Amino acid sequence: MIELQNIRKVFNEGLSSEYIALHDLTLAIAAHQVTVLKGPSGSGKTTLLSILGCMARPTAGRIVLAGREITSLPERFLTDIRRQTFGFIFQHYNLLKGISVIENVMLPAYPQGEPFSLLKKQAADLLKLFNLTHKAAAKVEWLSGGEAQRTAIARALVNQPEVIIADEPTAHLDTRLSREFMDIMRDFKAQGKTILIASHDPIVHESEVVDRVVQMRDGRIIDAGVI
Amino acid sequence: MFFNPGIIALFISSLLISGMVLYASFYGALILRYWDIKSGSETQLNLERRTYLISTIISYACVFQLCSFFLFIYTADTLHPFFTGAMCAVGSLNVNKWGFPTVILKTITFLLAGLWLIINFTDNRGFDYPLIKVKYLLLLIITPLILAETIMQSNYFLGLNPEVITSCCGSLFTADTKGVASEIISLPRSVMEIAFYGTMMGALVLGAVFYRTGKMGYGFSAAISVTFLISIASFISFISIYFYELPTHHCPFCILQKEYGYIGYFLYLLLLAGGLTGMGVGLLMPFRQMPSLKETLPAIQKHLTLISVICYLSFTAIATFQIIFSNLKM
Amino acid sequence: MIKSIEKQRNIIDFTLSSLWRRKGKNLALLVVYTLVVFSLGSVMFFTQALKNEAAIILRGAPEIIVQKLVAGRHELIPMASAQTIRAIRGVEAVKDRLWGYYYDPIGRANYTLMVPEGMDLKENEIIVGAGISRVRQVFRGNALLLRTYDGRPISLFIKGILSPESELLSSDLILISATGFRRLFGVSGDDATDLTVTVLNKKEISTIAAKIVDKLPDARAITRDEILRTYDAVFDWRAGIMIAILAGAVLAFLIFAWDKAAGLSGEERREIGILKAIGWETADILQMKFWEGTIVSLSSFFLGVILAYFHIFYASATLFEPVLKGWSILYPEFRLTPFISGYQIAILFFFTVIPYTVATIIPAWRAATIDPDVIMRT
Repeated sequence: MIELQNIRKVFNEGLSSEYIALHDLTLAIAAHQVTVLKGPSGSGKTTLLSILGCMARPTAGRIVLAGREITSLPERFLTDIRRQTFGFIFQHYNLLKGISVIENVMLPAYPQGEPFSLLKKQAADLLKLFNLTHKAAAKVEWLSGGEAQRTAIARALVNQPEVIIADEPTAHLDTRLSREFMDIMRDFKAQGKTILIASHDPIVHESEVVDRVVQMRDGRIIDAGVI
Repeated sequence: MFFNPGIIALFISSLLISGMVLYASFYGALILRYWDIKSGSETQLNLERRTYLISTIISYACVFQLCSFFLFIYTADTLHPFFTGAMCAVGSLNVNKWGFPTVILKTITFLLAGLWLIINFTDNRGFDYPLIKVKYLLLLIITPLILAETIMQSNYFLGLNPEVITSCCGSLFTADTKGVASEIISLPRSVMEIAFYGTMMGALVLGAVFYRTGKMGYGFSAAISVTFLISIASFISFISIYFYELPTHHCPFCILQKEYGYIGYFLYLLLLAGGLTGMGVGLLMPFRQMPSLKETLPAIQKHLTLISVICYLSFTAIATFQIIFSNLKM
Repeated sequence: MIKSIEKQRNIIDFTLSSLWRRKGKNLALLVVYTLVVFSLGSVMFFTQALKNEAAIILRGAPEIIVQKLVAGRHELIPMASAQTIRAIRGVEAVKDRLWGYYYDPIGRANYTLMVPEGMDLKENEIIVGAGISRVRQVFRGNALLLRTYDGRPISLFIKGILSPESELLSSDLILISATGFRRLFGVSGDDATDLTVTVLNKKEISTIAAKIVDKLPDARAITRDEILRTYDAVFDWRAGIMIAILAGAVLAFLIFAWDKAAGLSGEERREIGILKAIGWETADILQMKFWEGTIVSLSSFFLGVILAYFHIFYASATLFEPVLKGWSILYPEFRLTPFISGYQIAILFFFTVIPYTVATIIPAWRAATIDPDVIMRT
């Protein structure tokens, strides 16, 4: 599905503060599987995740997504691909405050140019799926932790992506909600979605849903796990 | 020199536009020098981000340039009572040698900025920035022209001297003086009519051919450019008199006045938009074979052709309508 | 095509809701912006209206006015000069005019006295402007007490009050009979204030004016066009000066706007970061910023223009009467004829919206190029 070849990411290149986040990394992610990137903070998980998710471009190396090389695509094309291929769930959910739950869910689809009414229906369907219909018009700051989490997941699904990317999704959740999250991931896997999670939470990487754990440290892969 | 709000507005806008294009071409030059699409280095990422800024700047500059073109003519028009002999913009523009060159340069820079936007639009459809070098070379050509225009405009306004007795459209656009304008008018009317309707027909037919088959793109574009000039000449020669309903009034600017319902703005917009899009088609012709543009370019050119043909057709329709239904009968 | 329109609709929708969410900040910008448009708009509407009034008034003005000069100053002209002018070919008619100023210590104002043409006034009858009526509290049927040139009191009977419509010019006006005028100011029957000349062929006005000066070397001939042009230039000049002064305000506003646009709050940066992370592209954010600027600009612009229009044409330009006028002291309560042109709006647009737009391009672009992965790294 996604192949990384000799990926290198350098920040502040040429300056004294130069910092190499990823060292010539090679990795292939299989489709329809749950892959977890595991490692301490600063190990390069998040950087790797953002490169896998086409959010950032590597300083060097090649990325092949579903057989197409996308390394040096201009941002506008990359964003298009990203929007249609990936759904993101962030550590702090990153919902927009001050607007309603349903608007938050619709946001990723705005630039797609679908008619507003159609978008609204899709979002409403997703909210129904996650038992959030009664909260559709509520502002996100009024949601409970679980509801915010489910809103964030619904938002990740609005463009019907093939791949779900989650960055430390359980970092701020109690055990019950963390398990609930993994249950939702199990459903996604059953639907044939590819799932990528960066986490150092045992509940995540010890879960039986996970097919593969990739261990990272200091910008290198120390254990690529079993495929 | 007059201290008139219109003049101050034009000064300000010219300075702003010049500043904008200078800024843009500075980064344009950096892009030409350091661009490397294969690299993911921070320099390259920064340059790619800059391209967004530059295209935003040029889009605005192009719109402002069009506005300032019309504001300039209108301001020249409002100044005419100050000059003995001036009855409209022509008289004011003739007060010193900078007036007409400024108008012409404003037209050219607008067209070039528009062409830049067409190239930019196309470039953004290709996944490997196929036209990046062409685009920024063109920017480096536009910038000095805009700077020259700013200087000329300043010279024009600073050199406005109410003592000067100027000649206006009445004498400039008559057959018995010397100059390009009078030569156009002294040409037999039938020749101009044949030239106008002939080239217009040619351009429209070539447009249809190109739209249907994708062939004759250069021909169409050239025809559009020639027709652009012929249309302006014809307007002076025989179309204008039907709007003014005066057989001797050949002015290209009086039509912008209120007395004629500001129809002139619409006519010139049609001509400019039609010319611009038509020229754009030709400009894009050499890139049809580029691998990353093969898919998208023909569709873009078809769109441009359609706009161009519609604009020219409307221009011809309005002019012909006026010729037939005007109170003036020749 | 449809898609891109839908996309713009969605983006506009979101922009509006974002603007609304940051009411405070945007309202401050809107108020300042409106104020700038309002001030500049007022100056321009006002001068244009004065120019128009002047043009309307001058339409009825004589084609040529001949005045005698002594040591460079305007003097009474002998009636005999009228004969000299009449002898010039192409002159249709020559008329003498009597007019002058009277300082009234009670009203503490200068009145303009004029002998009207073709109006039948008795020796002690006058018609006064609404301003004088107001200041001196005299009305139709009352008597107005003035002093003659040699200090004797003279009582003038008010036959009527001039209609308030023409107040811009007639507020301080007294219409008086020729005999009354001569008695009040001690002007002999052989002199007039100046002469007006009508010309047969309107194209010959300047030639005739030159001939008059040739025949009467101590006189000046002022043509109507000249007056109109001078008025235009003076008003344009005043407007120009006012705009130059206001340029400081515009500049301050631009710095303010730049600052507002550049100084993104942490919250806004986070929002743009989120939008980019979930699939918005730089161009989408730029479009959002474009709509933001357009919405703010257009609402402030129209609001400012409408306010300026009311200020000038319905509130009598209360705020800067003293600066731009300078005609006479008895000036109050006049209404200018409402007039607005696309040209003025265009110039106003050039003074405000274009600089604002330019000032916000770079900050908007800075905001739009926030990296999408930023929010993952915080």
